[in-house]
Amino acid sequence: MKKKSSRSFGAFLRSGSVPMMFVLICAVCIPLSGLSPSYLINEIVTRMGRNAFLILSLLIPIMAGMGLNFGMTLGAMAGEIGLILASDWQIVGIPGMVLAMIISVPISILLGLFCGKILNMAKGREMITSHIISYFINGVYQLVVLYLMGSVIPIKHSSIKLPRGYGIRNTVSLLSMRQKLDNLIPLTVRGVKIPVATFIIVAILCVFIVWFTRTKLGQDMRAVGQDMEVARDAGINVERTRIISIILSTVLAGIGMVIYLQNMGNIATYSSHSQIGMFCIAALLVGGASVDKASIWNVFLGVILFHLMFIVAPKAGAAITGDSMIGEYFRVFVSYAVITVALVMYETNKRKARSMEGERLRLEQEEEK
Amino acid sequence: MKKRTFLIRILFVAVLIGIAAVMCVIGRGHTVYFDNKTVTGPDGTVYEAPYQIQVFVEDESAGKLKEGDRGMASVMGQDFKMILHITPEKDAKKVGSAVSFKLPYNMDGVIINLPALLGGAPEDVYMEEFVPAPVEEDEDEEVVVTDEFEMPSEE
Repeated sequence: MKKKSSRSFGAFLRSGSVPMMFVLICAVCIPLSGLSPSYLINEIVTRMGRNAFLILSLLIPIMAGMGLNFGMTLGAMAGEIGLILASDWQIVGIPGMVLAMIISVPISILLGLFCGKILNMAKGREMITSHIISYFINGVYQLVVLYLMGSVIPIKHSSIKLPRGYGIRNTVSLLSMRQKLDNLIPLTVRGVKIPVATFIIVAILCVFIVWFTRTKLGQDMRAVGQDMEVARDAGINVERTRIISIILSTVLAGIGMVIYLQNMGNIATYSSHSQIGMFCIAALLVGGASVDKASIWNVFLGVILFHLMFIVAPKAGAAITGDSMIGEYFRVFVSYAVITVALVMYETNKRKARSMEGERLRLEQEEEK
Repeated sequence: MKKRTFLIRILFVAVLIGIAAVMCVIGRGHTVYFDNKTVTGPDGTVYEAPYQIQVFVEDESAGKLKEGDRGMASVMGQDFKMILHITPEKDAKKVGSAVSFKLPYNMDGVIINLPALLGGAPEDVYMEEFVPAPVEEDEDEEVVVTDEFEMPSEE
């Protein structure tokens, strides 16, 4: 009994080590930064609305055993294309956002299908494969946005088009959509602006994910995530289930990107999507998720801790060293480091489980003799 | 594929296209420019600009326009409503007037000549498309950076 409780405490420590480390970092950095609690709460609430949808899109592939979907960048690109077209057609406000989401859906489905099919060919190496696919599709995105838009795909407005007559500018303004969703239901509590409408959408997605896990398809995904061979023997179409999980994730990432960019108020055409996958994955891992296990609570805890560090690190860096860039480097370093640690831990645990299984089999065979 | 599944998918796509079409109509943005300038119609009628017009669009002031001034407002959709507070002459009493009309879908920017609109002039007199003056831009002015790992040139 004592052994069991010490083992579960050890497991708790292992699973909670990353969030606890971030709690410590934040506890040290917050007083050093000198930022007021109301400012921090305001920022966290804003970032929660901005990022939560995107990070939630990562949960379904994890459930299906496909690890962290670095391919969510594909959905982000689809969302950006939707927003560029909606901006050029001068569809503004919430209708512009809805239109951008609708445009992004078929593009995300196609990209998700493509990504899912390739990932099925690279079982066991999904994360690195999806990461490389995101680079590949980024090239295709650049071809479309830099050369086809304005020449083949009609783009009317010179504020969006490059001076040479085709291609999209480095930055596209979304002033006509800026924070329209966040301000749809205005609510301010003690100086903290709460984006109620955005939170309602995030809550709907959370309910959808909970409902989805209880459906036949959701259960199939869990089964595939636990053991593909057993799932196949149980009559589940493993490949199809995996493709659906990636398509769902990509579509949600596309919609999430539209929500993210409406909050920002502009699109960095060639770079917005490239870092979003990395930061979303880092935030999820900071929340205590792992490559094979993640929950909705990990998303929210991750957004709070990761972005709290993002906000306070430059100021704390400036207070400690006199140079705010140190804080900037620190937060970038931590983002990548946390992903690396998570991947190493996943691989170590997998190997440990495999060797324990081998040991168990050996003991069984010895007993039989 | 089962016939029912196929039908559901077709229906789903049709609903999405329908919503997109509705969004395109209700969400079309226009920039409306208001001119308080004297204008002469094609039949020779002169529509004199009053001393001042204050324009309210969606309960917000879009400007107090003295004679010769221009104001602007960004609006969504084609049904356009505004409230005008007209001061015919200096120190004269303000007169309120609510005006509504349809904006053409294909125009991004619309110039409304308020004296002509208030004088009951035909649409082609009080409304015209705003065409922004072309800006000469150097092609090299905006360098597109697509590769964050791009090596800096030696030049």
